[in-house]
Formats: sequence, structure tokens, C-alpha cells
Amino acid sequence: MKRNFKFQISNFKFFIFIFSLFTVHCLLFTVSHAKVYIEITDPALRKLPISINYTGHEEAKEVAGIVKDNLDFTGIFYLIDPDIPGAEITVKIDAVVPEATKVIKADVVVSDLIKNEDILNKRYTASKDILRTLSHSISNDIFKVITGMDGVFRTKIAYIVNSSDKKWLYIMDWDGYNPLRVVTKGLTLSQSWSPDGQYLVYSSERDRNWGIYLLDIRKYIETMLFSAKGLNLAGGISPDGRIAFSSSKDGSPEIYVMNLDGGDLKKLTRSFGIDVSPVFSPDSSQIAFVSDRGGSPQIYIMDSDGTRLRRLTFEGSYNTSPVWSPDGKWIAFVGRKNSNNQIFMIKSDGSDLRQITDKGNNENPSFSPDGMFLAFDSDRDSGKGIYLMSINGEREKRITPKDTKTMNPEWSPYIK
Amino acid sequence: MGRKVLILVLMVFVIGCAKKYVLTPEEPVKLEEVKEVKEVKAVKAEEIRKEAKKAESVEEKILPRETKEVAAPVIEKPLFELKDALFDFDRYDIRADARAILDSIASWFDKNRGINILIEGHCDDRGTNEYNLALGEKRAIAARNYLVSKGIAPSRMSTVSYGEEKPACTEQNEDCWQRNRRAHFVVTK
Repeated sequence: MKRNFKFQISNFKFFIFIFSLFTVHCLLFTVSHAKVYIEITDPALRKLPISINYTGHEEAKEVAGIVKDNLDFTGIFYLIDPDIPGAEITVKIDAVVPEATKVIKADVVVSDLIKNEDILNKRYTASKDILRTLSHSISNDIFKVITGMDGVFRTKIAYIVNSSDKKWLYIMDWDGYNPLRVVTKGLTLSQSWSPDGQYLVYSSERDRNWGIYLLDIRKYIETMLFSAKGLNLAGGISPDGRIAFSSSKDGSPEIYVMNLDGGDLKKLTRSFGIDVSPVFSPDSSQIAFVSDRGGSPQIYIMDSDGTRLRRLTFEGSYNTSPVWSPDGKWIAFVGRKNSNNQIFMIKSDGSDLRQITDKGNNENPSFSPDGMFLAFDSDRDSGKGIYLMSINGEREKRITPKDTKTMNPEWSPYIK
Repeated sequence: MGRKVLILVLMVFVIGCAKKYVLTPEEPVKLEEVKEVKEVKAVKAEEIRKEAKKAESVEEKILPRETKEVAAPVIEKPLFELKDALFDFDRYDIRADARAILDSIASWFDKNRGINILIEGHCDDRGTNEYNLALGEKRAIAARNYLVSKGIAPSRMSTVSYGEEKPACTEQNEDCWQRNRRAHFVVTK
């Protein structure tokens, strides 16, 4: 029996946040070139020397700083001080706040010094209180014109905050800024984004019942998606709008799939033991999940109709929390090694197992939508926090404050 | 809602006061003593007297406790302690020690027909959150199934899993981890 819950939160800050998403707009001066300057999948990657310069009011310094941090974290640029020669690409940011306004106008010019031509020339106008969003948009455009790929700088991370034994759902910017409290009813976890980034699905324990809920983020309306007796844990959402989840309604945790409107419920597993944590492959054709049917928790893959079941992990006695890379080639997961939890990656055909982390306990991996980064939680330094690392291991940083207990990051898709 | 449950729980214990010694684990011992007295055929008056004295002395032991408990407010301390049934790491099968605890819970439950319980499944924090929720669920279900096999009506028991989310202790040692790997019983009615 499904019940609809509607609650409107008059959270001023939240609506400002949503409203501000729509107020960064730009005027194009020239068309940016289609040439790709860097092949970021090239294994023998040479970092592109780039310098970032700023002029104008003090806001320009802040914008340039954020753009610099963004581009630096990708690991494909070599950032050079503007006063030192050697850059092949220059970025000039001129940003002013006209008198008696709360608006930033930023002119951004990206120049190719080798060919001596401008490859991007754009004016941005944005409300001053969303300076970070503006900087992220600028970063995305610079990244796109150089690599041909969409940047992740405007993506979000949904995560869980542990606050005196309650577990609350939050959303923050990809770099840890602007945390926004979203769900505070009950014990909430195992959240997943819809493919368009407009909805979050999650499980919440309220009054000793586990239900699966759907949140319309923009309208801030929550509805109950599934509420049978027993444990109901939300899994992943497929690109074609189906949700996989685990439910013990028939006496033991099994894998089910269902449309996001609640229809076409199908039971996919029938084993005595535990079947949990299902995630769809990026092309919707397969589901990876965790099962102890072989005697210990291991990762299995089946077709999304429940057929062609095969085991993926054979090393180690405890492998859980699978996630697919956006290109479908890899699965990241958590394996126990030497009494700690570490993040591993394995090809979806079971080959090429690699260990990604080695300090402390590292859990809940989540890929960025371009597949270049992993978010995860770790207790390696002063309590559980959320970390980002680049897939090649070069870059790593903690993005939640050290005095909070934060975990289970879920990286959003590209958000329009 | 919470207040109503608390009042009902208090009423149960207050009402149970009158015949509460029936609920103590001591009771089987007392019965055996009585049986012994009954089975001893009247052969020697001395032996009978000895047995009577034994029964008396047993009664003496029990009686003061009984009086004391009637006087004291028993609201805080449950008369029968619902102990946790413990599990091995990553397992949800019922161990021998857990079986003993479940057996005593079953017989207590059987004698207190008006009571329902909630069985919570818990884990230590060494695994991952989602898997531990499923593991906690299997532990609660296993405890419930065992009690059903002992004749307790399924409708009297509900289950919920908290995985590693509500630990009883947080030290990083086997002692604490074992305490957390539990099915925990809560009176709900």
C-alpha cells in the first residue's frame, strides 16, 4: 500500500539555491572552436601548461581561484603563474560588480598562444551570491573547449550526515561547498540519483519501518515509493527509469526491479541468503549486486531480467558495495583486506583487479559522471569524511569538514 | 505514541507484580524441590522432617525477596531480563548460547500472553552499511523463526534491522564487536 507524503519546507536558503540555478546566463561573443586540445584518455598524457590571470574587482580573485582549483584537480593541466613564461593556453578573467548592483559581470577569454588565437570569448552575468556556481560554469566552458568533454564542476554530491545517531540526507557542490540539508526524517541512507538529476531515491527507517522514498528535488516534495513489511533498501536507477532495490518482504532480502511510478514490480532473485545492493549497468542491460549465496558476501552480475547470473569476485572473503563506471567497463567495490575495508576496481568481465586505497577504512565508492573521479568515505584521518580522488590516483582531497561525521557520497549525473 | 507504550509497559510490570515470582528463573528450582518432597515416600519421620525443613528453607529464601520486590517500585527494572542473542561475525545462524537465551525468552513469552515484542537485528561496524542492514535483518528473522518454532505466534513478534547504525558500544575490540552482533528484544505491548 503506497501512501503519498507531501511536505513543503519553507527553507529560504533552499529556494534561493534552486532559484539561483537559473540565474547564471551568458552572452556569446564569438563561437568557440571545436578543436580538442587534449586527449584525456591518452596514457602518455602530457599536462597542458596553462595560466590564469584576473583583473577587475576583488570578486575576480575569488572566481579565478575557484577556476584554478577546479582545473588543477583534473590533473590534466600544469598551472603556471601568469608572470612566468611557458603557458600554451592563457585564461583571462575580468570580473566586476557594477555599482549599486548585486550582480557580477565576468568576461572570460581563453587564448591559444601557439596559434595566437582566442578559442573562447564569453561574457557571464550572475547574481553575486552564486559566485561559486558562476566560477564552476566558467570552469566547465574552459574544460569543454580544451578537451571536448563536459566538465563536472556544476555536479552535486548527495551524502549522509551522522548527527547524534540520526542519519540525515544532504546535498553539496562537487567540491564540498554549500551543504544543504534535505531529509531529516528518520534514519536515511542508500540514496541514488535519477538519470536527469531531478530526483533522489533513498531508504528511510521511520517508526521501525523501512520505506523507499522518492524526492522531487526542485519541488521539494517527497512521496513513498515502496513500503512492504521488512527491510527495503533502495538500489540504483537505470537510465531508462527503473529502480532496483532489495526487500525482505518475502522472508529474506532479495533483488527486485520496478518502474519509478511503482508499476511492473519483478522479483529477480530467489535464494535463502542475502541479496542486496543492486546497481544497473550504464546501458541498463545488467545488474551487479551482492549475495552471500556462495557462503560469503561477493559481487555477482546478472542480466536485468534476472538471467545469466555469474559471480564477479573470487578474491577475498568479503566484497560488497558495487558501482559501475560511466563507460560500463569497470566496477568499483569495497573489499576487506587485513581487517580493513578498501576500494578495489575490477573489469566487468572479472579481469584486472586493482586495489585503489590502502589507509584506514574506505567505503561507498561513487564515480563522477565523466568517470575521472571517485568519491568515497574514509576514516583515515579524524573520523569519517568524504574524499575525492582521480582515477589515476594522482589527486586526492577531503571535501567535508573534519569535525563532522559524513559518509556515503553519491555523485550526481550532469545537471543541466 | 511513545508515552502510551511506556504506560502499557509499566502496567504490565505492575500487574505482573502479584505473581511475579512465577516469572523468575528461580521457579524451576522451587518446583523440583517440591517434587522431591512429594516423591519421598514416608519411610522415616526424620527424613520427612528433613525434606520439609529443606522446602521450608527454600521458601525462606524466596519469601524475603518477594516481599522486598512488592515494596520496591519495579518500574525501572524488568523482572525478566530480555538478554541479547549473539552471533558470529558475518553469520546469522543461531549459536548454542543464543539458543539458550531464546529458549528462556520463549518460555517467558509463553507465560505472558498479552505481550508483543520487537526483535532488532544489529551488527558490528566492520562491514559496510548496506550489507550490514541486510545481515541485521537476517539475524532478527532468524531469532523470530526460532521463537516461532518454539510455538510463539508470529503475529506477536515484529522485526527491524538497524545494521551497524545503532551500536551498543563503540570500542574497536572483539569484546565490543561481539556485543554489537546481536538480536535485541524490546517489549512493544
